[in-house]
Amino acid sequence: MQFGRRSFLKMVPAAALAATGTGTVAGLWSSAARAAEPLRVGSILSVTGPAAFLGEDMKAGLELAVDEFNAAGGMGGRKIEWTYYDAESQTQKGITATRRLISQDKVEVILSGGNMSGIALAMAPITNAAKVPFISSEGALAIVTPVAERQYVFKSTVDDGDVLERIADYLDKKKIKKVALIADTSGFGQGAVGQMKIVGPKRGLDVMYESFAPSDTDMMPQLTRIRDAGAEAIICWTVTPAGVVFLKQAQQLGLDKKTLIHSYGFVSADYMKLAGDAANTLLLASLKLPVGDQLPDSDPLKAGILKMMKAYEARFKRPASIYAAESYDGALLAREALKKVGGDVSKLSQGMEQIKDFPGISGVFTFSPERHSGLSKQDIVLVNWRDGRFNLADYA
Amino acid sequence: MQTATALLQVLSAGIGTGAVYALVALGFNVVFKSTGAMNFAQGEWVVMGGMVTALLIGAFSSIGLAVVTAVVLVGIVGLLSERLTVQPLKKPDALVITLVTIGLSIVSRSLVMLVLGKKPVGYSGFSGNTALSVGGVSIQSQTLWIIAITLAFLVVMHAFFERTILGKALRAAAADREAAAIVGVNVGSTVLLSFGIAALAGALAGAIVTPLTLASYDQGAMFGFKGFSAAMLGGLGSLPGAVVGGLALGLLEAFGSFYISSDFKDAIAFAVLLLILFVRPSGLLGRADIVKV
Repeated sequence: MQFGRRSFLKMVPAAALAATGTGTVAGLWSSAARAAEPLRVGSILSVTGPAAFLGEDMKAGLELAVDEFNAAGGMGGRKIEWTYYDAESQTQKGITATRRLISQDKVEVILSGGNMSGIALAMAPITNAAKVPFISSEGALAIVTPVAERQYVFKSTVDDGDVLERIADYLDKKKIKKVALIADTSGFGQGAVGQMKIVGPKRGLDVMYESFAPSDTDMMPQLTRIRDAGAEAIICWTVTPAGVVFLKQAQQLGLDKKTLIHSYGFVSADYMKLAGDAANTLLLASLKLPVGDQLPDSDPLKAGILKMMKAYEARFKRPASIYAAESYDGALLAREALKKVGGDVSKLSQGMEQIKDFPGISGVFTFSPERHSGLSKQDIVLVNWRDGRFNLADYA
Repeated sequence: MQTATALLQVLSAGIGTGAVYALVALGFNVVFKSTGAMNFAQGEWVVMGGMVTALLIGAFSSIGLAVVTAVVLVGIVGLLSERLTVQPLKKPDALVITLVTIGLSIVSRSLVMLVLGKKPVGYSGFSGNTALSVGGVSIQSQTLWIIAITLAFLVVMHAFFERTILGKALRAAAADREAAAIVGVNVGSTVLLSFGIAALAGALAGAIVTPLTLASYDQGAMFGFKGFSAAMLGGLGSLPGAVVGGLALGLLEAFGSFYISSDFKDAIAFAVLLLILFVRPSGLLGRADIVKV
């Protein structure tokens, strides 16, 4: 069939009539129609590039959450329609994709910001200006500070300052005062150095600082200096394989007889296997997830962790990582916040600020209008690596 | 006494790292000699050497066999790279080849990531993860292996260039392409050969250093950069220059981060590199080009 100009014109009034008709119906049933309309949720993840190993897990965490929630009726009474873009571990790509989520896809909530602090930091002002709530699963505290400029931005991850406070608690217990912090030169490592310069003096620790490049293959000079300075505990802060070099060379210098601590950025079974017996005496400051089954039954997180890990493993055929938990928590928090404000997305931020003592997977979340980062040092435990798995070594 | 052992400890670390830089620098120098170009894919071959060895160790039971096979395989990759990217060039001048190798490095890195994976890999040292303690200084047995293998490879290379017809042909082509062609040297095949040797040297460096440092697909740029700097420092195109440059860079980094600050480790090494190049633009052992008019 061919449309001539005439037959097309004939069709116009009919189409207009049809449009008016549905318009009236939609007007009459507007609230019901809105409830049925899916909730548009967007995410930025880096599933390629150097940060891909985090992005894959965060994507899986979100997929699991979206499907679980939709099976149980969605979020705030609406089914979730989830869109994600790959930022390829590049800040510029993350920014472009964020603009696209906001202006083209018209998402109402953004969960996860490229699984790199640098990307999330760049996204925060954009989402805040657009008044789209953004729950980041990235680390840096600056993503949500100052709160006055980040009314719509929250994060589901732990703060370095809290982790260092928790490590200081442990060192107190062991009566250790002389500490070395050896951090990589990335944002993650240097962020911890900045925080330690606040936490260290406050807790009466005598801290010496050393650093290394993420690509470094030799840390002998730094470790020799640490050994000669007589530090009793050495804290290493990195997510890169250089952390394995640190363990091997520390062992070579006999520093494994001191207290060696890696941060939550290094809680990876792959790294532990690569380090071999150099990881024997290591402690890691970790979220509770990897030792979920060893937590006391009184722990508020235990049941949730076990349930999430079981579902995750059944679906993705690999154990859930703390990164998967961080993005999953973002979705949990969004749903909880919507519950508090009766499903009204425009008030999601107020809902977030009302969340108190809410057990997620990474920890127990408490937000307030003054604080948009929800975890505390109580959510950190010290774990070790024995018999091919992480084990609880120091619980609160 | 404490300081003396610390000094020796840092010295041994610097020599170990320096030996690896020397091997990478050797790769740069061989290609530079035959083409006048910088081969920026050199670092990727280091990574390949480590990652392929790790893969083969699962299949073979012997580390030695895995290392040799991996180094030969990467050598073949080097030959193939030359045939696929450099040889088809219509006008193979130095700048064009340099640019081509930048592309080659990006392609190689992506291929390594796709074929061998994103996860860092490692394996135990050639005589286990043992460390020897000599007068309070602890030295990994692998560091001794690195120094010994590097020395052996350099001796073999030296003999190859000085004693064999093929090596002499390579040097002849490097000195003057046209003159070499006139006396019957197949200049095209010398370029091919130089890429093969460069890949061998890089892969060997990767295979021997991985037990200490692990190998992951994105380390290539760092190795390339360090090897390039070592080659510049020692004098481009000079075989002993690669050794001197590599060791000098390794020691500079080690002592710089020990005595001054680990925050400025790379900065210190490169500041010294710049200083030397200001005073001796042709590097420590390089000869300035003398153009007779």
